[in-house]
Amino acid sequence: MSDYDLVDVEVTHEDNDELLDSLGDSDGGEDHIQTVQAVRLQAGQPDSELRSLKQLDEESVKMLEHQVDTAYRALFEMDGKALLADEVGLGKTIEVGMILKEMHFRETDDSVLILTPAQLAKQWQAELLEKFGLNFVCNYDDEFEGFDSHDYIIASIDTAKSDRHRATVLNRDWDVLVLDEAHYVKNEETDRYDLIDRLSYNYAFFLTATPIQNELTDLYNVVSLLRPGLFGTRDVFHQYFVNSNQETLVNRDELQDRLNKVMIRNRRADTDIDFTERIIDTRKFDPSPKERELYDAVSDYVKGAYSQDQGQKLVLMLLQKEVVSSPAALEVTIGKRLDEQSELTHADELESIMDLIDDIDTITKQERLLDIVEEARENVEKGRVIAFTQFRATQRQVLDRLAAEGYTVHSFHGGHSSQEKEDIVENFEAEGGVLVSTDAMSEGRNLQFCNIMVNYDLPWNPMRVEQRIGRIHRIGQKRSVYIFNMALNDTVEEYVLERLYHKIDLFQQSVGELSSILSRLEESGTSFEDEIFERLVNAGSEVDLENDFDDMAVDLQEQRDLADKLEEFNSGVFEGFDLGASDD
Amino acid sequence: MTDAALPVTQSAVERFTDQYLQSLGCTIEKQGDSWDVTIPDTADTELSGRNLRIICGSTSDEETTGEPLHPESQLCQQLLSEASSQHSTGKISIATENTPIEIPGWLRESDVTVRDTQFTPYYDRTAIVVLFRVSIETVSEYQTELLRAIAVDARSDERLPNLEETFLRLTSLDEKAAESDPAKMGVADVRSTIKSARSHLEAVIEERIDEVHQEASRAADAEVEEFRQMQQQRIQELEETRSNLSSKIDDLSERINDSEQADRVQVLEERNELKSEFEEIETDLAELRKRREQGFPERQREIRERHALDVRISPLTLTQVEYERGEVTLMLQYEDGDCSITVGYGSGVGITEDVRCSSCNEELTEDRSLGSIDGAVQCSSCASDIGAH
Repeated sequence: MSDYDLVDVEVTHEDNDELLDSLGDSDGGEDHIQTVQAVRLQAGQPDSELRSLKQLDEESVKMLEHQVDTAYRALFEMDGKALLADEVGLGKTIEVGMILKEMHFRETDDSVLILTPAQLAKQWQAELLEKFGLNFVCNYDDEFEGFDSHDYIIASIDTAKSDRHRATVLNRDWDVLVLDEAHYVKNEETDRYDLIDRLSYNYAFFLTATPIQNELTDLYNVVSLLRPGLFGTRDVFHQYFVNSNQETLVNRDELQDRLNKVMIRNRRADTDIDFTERIIDTRKFDPSPKERELYDAVSDYVKGAYSQDQGQKLVLMLLQKEVVSSPAALEVTIGKRLDEQSELTHADELESIMDLIDDIDTITKQERLLDIVEEARENVEKGRVIAFTQFRATQRQVLDRLAAEGYTVHSFHGGHSSQEKEDIVENFEAEGGVLVSTDAMSEGRNLQFCNIMVNYDLPWNPMRVEQRIGRIHRIGQKRSVYIFNMALNDTVEEYVLERLYHKIDLFQQSVGELSSILSRLEESGTSFEDEIFERLVNAGSEVDLENDFDDMAVDLQEQRDLADKLEEFNSGVFEGFDLGASDD
Repeated sequence: MTDAALPVTQSAVERFTDQYLQSLGCTIEKQGDSWDVTIPDTADTELSGRNLRIICGSTSDEETTGEPLHPESQLCQQLLSEASSQHSTGKISIATENTPIEIPGWLRESDVTVRDTQFTPYYDRTAIVVLFRVSIETVSEYQTELLRAIAVDARSDERLPNLEETFLRLTSLDEKAAESDPAKMGVADVRSTIKSARSHLEAVIEERIDEVHQEASRAADAEVEEFRQMQQQRIQELEETRSNLSSKIDDLSERINDSEQADRVQVLEERNELKSEFEEIETDLAELRKRREQGFPERQREIRERHALDVRISPLTLTQVEYERGEVTLMLQYEDGDCSITVGYGSGVGITEDVRCSSCNEELTEDRSLGSIDGAVQCSSCASDIGAH
C-alpha cells in the first residue's frame, strides 16, 4: 500500500570508545563471556513467563492451553494492548483473569477498571474473585463510593459514561482498562466511544467474539482505539482492505500481519475443548387445588399491591418467585411483611394467604423430586444429585423431606465458612446422596463428579441458570449431564421455562453464547427480570399474558438469531485467517 | 536472523548470578532458594566486603529477610549492569574437536544420508563477532530494541552467518561457558572490521526497519488526515458564520434605508462592525482554503518530521574468534550407491564454498537440495527430471 508518503529515517552509528579502550587490557579477558551474557540478558524481555500461574488453585480454575497462550501473547508480545476475539465459549474471562493475576503479581496494576454490559458486571466480579482471588468492587455494591474511591472497579459502561461519573472516570490515569463486549463501542459517534477514546490508561484488553457487527469498518474503529494508526486512515483502510460491497476482506495477508500485532482469535475447532452431551428433562405438574388457590391469591395480591405502589416492586417480585418455590419460602416473607407494616393496607389479604399456606399439606414439587432422586439412586454412582433452589426456607423443607425418606443429604448455602463449604463438597463426593444448594454455590467449586442437576425452582435471570449448569457441565466432565427442570403448570415458572428459556434454547447454549444474547438485550434497554415481572402484573387476562410472553420470546429469538448471524459472519470473514503467533 | 537477546527467566538469572559471583571470588552456600554469599573485600564489585543472603524467586514476601533475586529485582539489574560493562572485548577459540561438523542445509533437506565426515584443518583464521544494539524509535510505535550478532572474517571482511549462530550458542547460558582470553588486535584493524560489520548489519536489519518505517508513515498519514478533516470542519464553520453575518448585514442595509436619521447612524455603526468581522472571516477562510489547496504543507512537514524514524546503532561487545579452516570430506550414501565430496570448511563457520549441480550448474541450497549422487552430484529437480524420463 503506497497511499502515503514515507517519513524520513535517520541512522546514527554511535561509537563506543570504551570498547576500543578495553582492547589494551591485558587482564579480565577470561571473564569476557560473562560480559557477553550480561549484555544478552539485558537485551532480553524481562522474564516472559507467566509467573503467577503456579499460585492459582487448580481446583478453582482449569486453564487451557489456548488461554495460557493468549494471556502470554497479550502481555508479552502485544505490550499489554490486545483485542481478545476468541469465538464464543472459549473463556475470554479466564484469559483476562490470568492477565490481571499476572499483573497483580508483578505489581503493575495499581488501578484497574473493567467495563462490562450491566448484566454481566456481577458475574465478572464473582469469577475474578473465585477463580483468581482478585477482589473488585462493583458499581452495584453498596460499598461502591465512586470511581475515585477504589482501585479495582468493575462497572457497567453506561454507569461510567453517565453525567454523574464521567468526569471522575476520565480524571484518573488507570493502569489497566478491560472492556468487555468491545463491539458496543464500535460507533465513533457514540458517548461510549468517546469515553474510551478519552480514557487514560497504560494497558488495555478489549474482548469481543464479534469484532465486526455491521460493516468491516467496525474492526477499524475498535482496533484504532487500542492502537491508533495501525491501519492508517479510515479511507486507506477502506480502499485497501475492504471490497466494494463491504462484505469481504481483501489483501488478507497484510491485514493479518497488522491484526497479529493486536488481535488474538482462538477458534473452537483449534482448541481441545470438548463438552459432553447435555440432556434436558423438563417435568411439569399440575398443582393441587390448594396450591392453585394459593398461587392465584398471591398473584392477585402482587398485582393489586403493585398497581398501588410501584416502589414495592422488589418484594412483590420476590413473593411471585417464592410462591412457585415453596409455601415455606412464601411464609417467611409474608410473615415479615405482616410484622413490619404498622398500618396494614392489605393485612386481610396477607392473613388469608397465611391461612392458605397453613392449609397445604402435600407439596407437589417435593413429591415429584422424590421420583428423580430415586431414579438417580438406582442408576448413577452413589445416587449423586444436586438440587438448586433460590430460597433457604425451600432448601430446609426439601432437606427435611429427603432425610425423612432415608436419603443421604447435604446442605450448602452462603452462611457456611469456606472450610465448611469445602467439607460439604468433599462429603458429598464421598458419601453420595442429594446436595441441596442455594445459588451461593460458587462457580469455582469443582463438582464434575456429579452429573445430575435439578432446577427445583427457576431464577428469572438466565445467567443464574447457566451458572448452575456450569457447576457440573464443565471441562473435565466425562459423562453426559442430565438437567431436570421442575415447574407447576399455568404458573409464571411455566411461562418463563416454556416460552422464554426454551425459545432461546437456554439449556443447550454453550457457555458464553448466552452472554452475547443478554448483552444484545441490554443494548435494547431490557432487563430480563423486570420484563418478566412487568408482563406478569400488567396482563389484563390469561390470553394477554400468553401473548405478552410470546412477544418477549420473539424479541429473544430475534436477538438470538442476530447473535448467531453475527458469529457466523465473523467466522466467515476470518475464515482462512491464521491469527496465530507470527514468526518474527 | 537470530535475536541475540537471551530470555530472562528465573533459572537464567540464577545461573548467571551464580557464575558471576563465583568469578568475583565469592563463596556461596546454598540451602534451597536461600543463598548465603560471602564477598571478598578485594572483589571488583560494588557489593564487595558484604555478606549477602539472596532469596531466589522471592518477591515482596515480608517474612523473608534477604535480597530477592528474580528477573526484575534490583540485585539482578545491578549485577547485569556491572557485568555488562566490565570486559567488553575478549578472544575465544573454536576447538575443532569440540565442535560438531555442520551439515549444510542442502544436505539436511536431502534424502541422501551422511555416513561419515572428516575435517582436515589447514590453517587458523581470525574473525570478529560484534554484538550491536539497534534502537528504532518513532513517536507512534513502541521503541524497538534489537540485539544482533554480526560475524566478519578479519581478512576478507566477508560475513559469516554460521559463525554468528555458533557464537550465540557458545555464549548462551545453557552451554558450558567457552573460555576466553584478552583480545589481541590493533585498534585500526578493529575500527575497520567494525565498519564492515556495520554495513552487514544494516543489510540484515533492513527489513525490520522497513516494517517500522511503513507503520510510522501510516501513523503520520493518519494524523495528517485527521488534521485535514479538522481544518475542513473549521472551514465549514467559518462558511456558516460568514453566511449568517452576510444575512445580518443585508438586514441592516435594509434597515438603514428604512430608518430615520437618528437610528441610521447607530445601525450604520452596527453594520460597519459586522462588515469588519465579515472581512476578517473572509481573510481567514481564504487563508485556510489556500492552505487546503496546497495540502497544508507546513503542518504535513511538521507531522512527518515528528514521526521520523531515529535508528541508533552501537557496538556493545567485540569478540575475536580464532577458528580453523580446511576441508571436510562428506561420505554420502543414497539407495545402493555411495560417494564422497570434499569441500572447503571452517570450524564453527560451516561449508565455505558453493557446491553446484553437475547438470544445471545451479548452486545447491536448502530449496534446491542434493537429489542424487549417482555418478555425479545432482540437485533434486534435475534428479527427479531424470527419474521421470
